[in-house]
Amino acid sequence: MSLAGDIETVLSSGVRLAAPLAFAACGEYLAERAGTLNISVEAMMLGAAFGAVAVAGLTGSGIAGLLAGVLIGALIGLVHGVLAHGLAVNTFVVGLVLNALVLGLTSYLIATAAPLSRPPERWPLYSLLAIVPLTWWLVGRSRWGLELRAAGENPQAAAMTGIRVNLRRRQALLWCGALSGLGGAYLAVGEVGSFNQNMTAGRGYLVIAAVIFGGWRLARTLVGCALFGLADALRLALPALGVTLNSQLLISAPYLLALLAMLLFASRHNQPQALGRPFPRGGA
Amino acid sequence: MSALTLRAVSKRYGTVVACDGVDLDIDPGEIHGLLGENGAGKSTLMRILFGLETRDAGTVLRDGEPVRIAGPQDAAALGLGMVHQHFSLIDPLPVWENVILGDTGRIRRAAAQAEIHAVAQRYGLPIDPLAIVGTLSAGERQRVELIKCLRRDPGVLILDEPTSVLTRAESAELFAVLRRMVRSERRAVVLISHKLAEIAAATDRVTVLRRGRVVFRSATRDTDVAELARQMVGRDVSLGAEAAALGLLPATPEAESEVDQTPAMRLRGLVVRPFLNGVDLDVRPGEITGLYGAEGNGQTVLGDVLSGLIVPDAGIVELSGVPVALKRPGALHRAGLGIVPEDRHRAGVVLDLSVAANLVMKDPVLNRRRLRRTAQGLAEEFGIVAASLDAPLRTLSGGNQQRVVLARELSAHPKVLVVAQPSHGLDVGAAEDLYSRLRSCARDGVAVLLISTEIEEVLGLTDRIAVIASGRIAGEMRTADATAERLGLLVGGVAR
Ligand SMILES: Nc1ncnc2c1ncn2[C@@H]1O[C@H](COP(=O)(O)OP(=O)(O)O)[C@@H](O)[C@H]1O
Ligand SMILES: [Mg+2]
Repeated sequence: MSLAGDIETVLSSGVRLAAPLAFAACGEYLAERAGTLNISVEAMMLGAAFGAVAVAGLTGSGIAGLLAGVLIGALIGLVHGVLAHGLAVNTFVVGLVLNALVLGLTSYLIATAAPLSRPPERWPLYSLLAIVPLTWWLVGRSRWGLELRAAGENPQAAAMTGIRVNLRRRQALLWCGALSGLGGAYLAVGEVGSFNQNMTAGRGYLVIAAVIFGGWRLARTLVGCALFGLADALRLALPALGVTLNSQLLISAPYLLALLAMLLFASRHNQPQALGRPFPRGGA
Repeated sequence: MSALTLRAVSKRYGTVVACDGVDLDIDPGEIHGLLGENGAGKSTLMRILFGLETRDAGTVLRDGEPVRIAGPQDAAALGLGMVHQHFSLIDPLPVWENVILGDTGRIRRAAAQAEIHAVAQRYGLPIDPLAIVGTLSAGERQRVELIKCLRRDPGVLILDEPTSVLTRAESAELFAVLRRMVRSERRAVVLISHKLAEIAAATDRVTVLRRGRVVFRSATRDTDVAELARQMVGRDVSLGAEAAALGLLPATPEAESEVDQTPAMRLRGLVVRPFLNGVDLDVRPGEITGLYGAEGNGQTVLGDVLSGLIVPDAGIVELSGVPVALKRPGALHRAGLGIVPEDRHRAGVVLDLSVAANLVMKDPVLNRRRLRRTAQGLAEEFGIVAASLDAPLRTLSGGNQQRVVLARELSAHPKVLVVAQPSHGLDVGAAEDLYSRLRSCARDGVAVLLISTEIEEVLGLTDRIAVIASGRIAGEMRTADATAERLGLLVGGVAR
């Protein structure tokens, strides 16, 4: 194999590995701008990956699988939103519980998601071309997005101007769930073609890292996703290129890279000022 | 007919009765002053009007019709506009986004900006719609709040302590705008202020609230400052000695005996680029030294340096002749400096912790029973009014929050006490109380540094005044030799 060929392989698989992260990052970015540091993005991706394979296998339709993933992600977003921004349970506790619950459930039900016989479908990748600008427009240009940002920066002041802070935050989590679900479903149906136990393996946390690395800006967040995707691709390609390193250690490479990238480049300048802080006033 | 009427409106928080059967009539074409001691219930009353708080009893009528107000949107639909005591703006957003926040429908950026220009022009409130709100001065932020209200064309405009963060010139501008609105557009304006001189000069009618009850109402021209002061505080107050607390200029600064001692605190060549350009200042024991200047000339930064929030680029702070290692957190505190910072909400206290916890925060001992006793003692000594010592500090009025900070700082027996903009948001009773505490502090031999933008406060309270302009000390004098004119020249002559 030529060097150019190697590079091309790594690049293209990098893009495909970055895609699930990019879908979810669009969601997480929006949720964080509204003030929720949503760690259940991992549960959203994993649950959706499982649901997508199960439904795609049952119906024989990749689209049905993707849709199922979106729905499951949104459902987890709904549960998270109601618990954290309706009943005022600590958002991190909610996230941890959801992550553990979904990991357990999908491992238990793993037999219902048999490997798909059909080849992976890569076309959903192109929907990113619509989703990214849409997310950008929603957050930066729409009234809804303005209210989300207000809720994420200063919920007290937002409420004084009549914005229903917790409602907006719940809605943001729905969006986050739907897109993270799409990301997880794409990973399972579009790339791998089967569901494996804990197949997201912490990609949700990489997504959170990408948003932080991106300094709560969409374009940079996507750069972060691309970076982590490439690192993943490189790791997978190393054995084929004749480099042998301890594979257990290598698995942690993208995460180490994420840590390093955040240490070096992340700026808190744009961090929503009320990120992770609940807004207790009533259920509104 | 009244534009807005309150009948027997009541509200209690636990055992605290914030509003007790309040009747109020606001007419179109008048500026109605609402005066009251700290915690008198003024803000609560206004929050009820905006649906931010639910009332326990009473009715609200708009143009004679009973109305239901469940939230700010309802209030806006009824033509009520409010400028909040603590600004309701969102710092990282630009002016125009802040202004349209709370509207509905599609965002029309160009139209919004044009509208802001139009309103700004009409009322003489110049502002750049693209500026980020967090970078604006207090006066400019208030303009944004006003524009945000006025573009909805409110019949009734309510301003809660609007001047507490403004300079005198900015306040004067504000009142001119309000007067124009009332005269040519027949709007009704409710002005809540703790500065008697302002209420006397800027309003047509005045209502005084004390402990949640209306105790006095009158046409402004039929009453005087002395009467208003008495009604508000509920006892006779001396207009001479307490002038500063009442928001008045003292008639003649008292000449006091010369205190000549070595400084307890010495600042030398303090530099924080680009805000402070070499500040030299001495603060002597037994004296109150005023640091006076217009906003944005380095006062706030100097306060942050003395709070330990900023490490200066150059220069030294000496306490009792010993330079302090400024890089070490808490070094200033250990060296005997107490500080009541400007932004109590950020630096001075933890709003979500209880009153008791805030009072003893700096105490090294962790014996709960003892801490509780200490807190109780301090609360009594400093006259802190709270539903309970376990109530979160957030629920206290501004004056009481400040007493908590002051009590905590003084309980460490500091050699130097720095207070920054102490009377912001306080009214007469609370300010007067604070001033007498500062005076007695100085009498006990503490060196007090008062950082202030209020000329009344500086002239009425201090023994010595230094004027800061563009990050430098522009002049220093004994207060007995100072006049408002002389200080004004120093502030303006070199500054900006
Ligand atoms: N959310 C709250 N919870 C408990 N007590 C409160 C709350 N808000 C205000 N209070 C109390 O109600 C009283 C009136 O407060 P406020 O209306 O802010 O007074 P003012 O604006 O006249 O200074 C004060 O004693 C204050 O401590
Ligand atoms: Mg108030």
